[in-house]
Amino acid sequence: MSKSLKALLAAGTLVLLAGPAFAAGDADKGAKVFKKCAACHAVGENARNKVGPELNDVFGRTAGGLDDYKYSKAMAKAGEEGLVWTTGTISEYLADPRGFVPKNKMAFAGLKKDDDVANVLAYLATFSKDAPADTAADAAPAEEPEAKMASAAEESAAPATAGSSTREGGVHGLGRVATAEEVAAWDIDVRPDGAGLPDGRGTVADGEMIFTEQCAVCHGDFGEGVGRWPVLAGGQDTLTRERPEKTVGSYWPYLSTVYDYVRRAMPFGNARSLSDDDVYALTAYVLYLNDVVTEEDFELSKDNFTEIRLPNEEAFIDDNRLEEPHYADKGEPCMTDCKPDPVTVVMRARILDVTPGSVDDDEAAGAGGVD
Amino acid sequence: MGDSARLDRRRLLTAGLAAGGAALATRAIGAGSEPAITEIQDWNRYLGEGVQSRPYGIPSEFEANVVRRDVEWLTASTESSVNFTPLQDLDGIITPNGLCFERHHAGIAEIDPAQQRLMINGLVDTPLVFTMEDLKRFPRENRIYFLECAANSGMEWRGSQLNGCQYTHGMVHCVMYTGVPLKTILQEAGIKTNAKWVMPEGADSSAMTRSIPLDKALDDCLVAFKMNGEALRPEQGYPLRLVVPGWEGNMWVKWLRRLEVGDMPWHQREETAKYTDLLANGKARRFTWVMDVKSVITSPSPQAPVTHGKGPLVISGLAWSGKGRIKRVDVTTDGGRNWKTARIDGPSLPKALHRFYLDIDWDGSDLLLQSRAIDEAGFVQPTKNELRLARGENSIYHNNGIQTWHVKADGAVENVEVS
Repeated sequence: MSKSLKALLAAGTLVLLAGPAFAAGDADKGAKVFKKCAACHAVGENARNKVGPELNDVFGRTAGGLDDYKYSKAMAKAGEEGLVWTTGTISEYLADPRGFVPKNKMAFAGLKKDDDVANVLAYLATFSKDAPADTAADAAPAEEPEAKMASAAEESAAPATAGSSTREGGVHGLGRVATAEEVAAWDIDVRPDGAGLPDGRGTVADGEMIFTEQCAVCHGDFGEGVGRWPVLAGGQDTLTRERPEKTVGSYWPYLSTVYDYVRRAMPFGNARSLSDDDVYALTAYVLYLNDVVTEEDFELSKDNFTEIRLPNEEAFIDDNRLEEPHYADKGEPCMTDCKPDPVTVVMRARILDVTPGSVDDDEAAGAGGVD
Repeated sequence: MGDSARLDRRRLLTAGLAAGGAALATRAIGAGSEPAITEIQDWNRYLGEGVQSRPYGIPSEFEANVVRRDVEWLTASTESSVNFTPLQDLDGIITPNGLCFERHHAGIAEIDPAQQRLMINGLVDTPLVFTMEDLKRFPRENRIYFLECAANSGMEWRGSQLNGCQYTHGMVHCVMYTGVPLKTILQEAGIKTNAKWVMPEGADSSAMTRSIPLDKALDDCLVAFKMNGEALRPEQGYPLRLVVPGWEGNMWVKWLRRLEVGDMPWHQREETAKYTDLLANGKARRFTWVMDVKSVITSPSPQAPVTHGKGPLVISGLAWSGKGRIKRVDVTTDGGRNWKTARIDGPSLPKALHRFYLDIDWDGSDLLLQSRAIDEAGFVQPTKNELRLARGENSIYHNNGIQTWHVKADGAVENVEVS
């Protein structure tokens, strides 16, 4: 449990914290903010547990308190130690989920704006019997000191700049020389030939622990994917089928891409939080999930990294669209009597109408995607 | 998405048709005078709001349904997702900034321009760091380009699925960018002789990266800080984005913070796992950068039904090509048996949207509308079946096939495919 949470519990001030700073949110605005949460949490009529627990009557609920939801150990423990969800504790949690209950499994970085927190609280309160009255949507907005400061700042709203200077050399002499430390901080990309790999190592077993803790919430314990989150494993021999499963094992050409991407952008909502060793371990575990390596004590490191080849590497070809018949001939297109018979409709969108707002779209999920 | 943005399409359509019917009926009576004219209206008597009541102007309340919309089932979260430009409501070739479709991989990064830096490193003589002020001291240019997501129309590979050109074709927009040629910035750092590739990187929490051939980087790419004259919108990469004219939108890295120069491609996630085109035989094309010649009729279309009955009808649409200008657009009303050349109106600029019109006298019978664009390189927009024959149905990306709209006698319009 974090220090701030301990302090809160010790002081017994949780209820008092439900003061003006968190009150007076706007439930309608909260409904919009809640879209950030809705991928994992349901609330309202017929809400069920999804990736995260359902949130009806969350006010007054003990942390980790739903019997039919599998919480992280950290969250269950926080509840055993007395954490109850109130306006105050939910606010703290939403502002910094991993700081407030370290090692809990919610893969969400937190809501940066106090208004967003207050509005989500107001929205959630509409689904909670025990929510304090001043959290509700129709409470008059409290005047916040911050708002005053903001309007004062608006008077001189010219954006700050970082200045500019000239230097010797170059065509225009603009910019300054990047320091080695700066380049190292941002240049973390890795190529298939191993260029850019940092020192480090990690085993399949290490990777499994990290994966279960930080990745499985979206990708599933075995990389099978939860809901529409990416599937990481399996799918071999599906690439020519109607529904190809494009995973690291079935599709990705290079292992370096896994390392590079996890290191720069995962976990989703908490990027750059893994150590280089963690990333080696996770990469090893993804290899294991895809049967590219088979031993749990397999250790991936900078030294053996480029020895690993992914099965689908040879399937990638360069752009040859211009050889397709419709582009190759470049002929003048037909203008009259181009089809012998009157044209008939052979397919209609309404057969599978998944257009937003259409009758069936709540239940339907169409084919394809932007992925 | 707010309630106003989730207007029920059917309701809209029905309401539109009903309103059209009522208007026709009024006309038919003929003798009656309209209260809109005979009665003094509020706006004709009372004062309106003064200047500065809207320090940043917004559209009329009567245009509240002209908004970007998303398709919730498409993606697992709204932070890694897409919404769509309401093409059916727009005209001309410029997309208003607030209506340009969004595609984020980790939500909208909110960056203080004072904290913004652009770094150049790799195979350069001098690795450099620029502030926004530094960038605004380079000679700059203004250019108009379309930006199309490679996955635009991607949901239609297996057949008609979404009723509305906003959804089938709305991952495209076209604005005027102000920025510094990428070539200028690369030359400031000095490119080493073995350099062949440039990799832009974003500052958001997806740290988006793509490999771009040096030839393209030195040709027409821009490092842009304005769109349509004002600062980039946060959702379009404020304060800095890359412009890669004619090439797939994913490469136009937003929140641009770094350019690395190298001697081979990096094979990043967005050019291996994603944005590669799986073919029927299990092979996959990579580095399919150019957006091919394409067009769509934006009105009439499912979200823009014909509400006025027979008589004069303006058929309007957009055409574009990553290979340059559009030379010609043909339109058919009988599903592709006979074609007429449409009129391109407004500027015809390379790698920009083109607006076309065909003005017809509608006899009230069913129409099967299609448009077919031809670019200045001589490429003709293919049919969807030609694409499927060559690629199968699993490509997701680069679907530039000819779109068919079925206009029915009552003016309703549906997304269909034809024989």
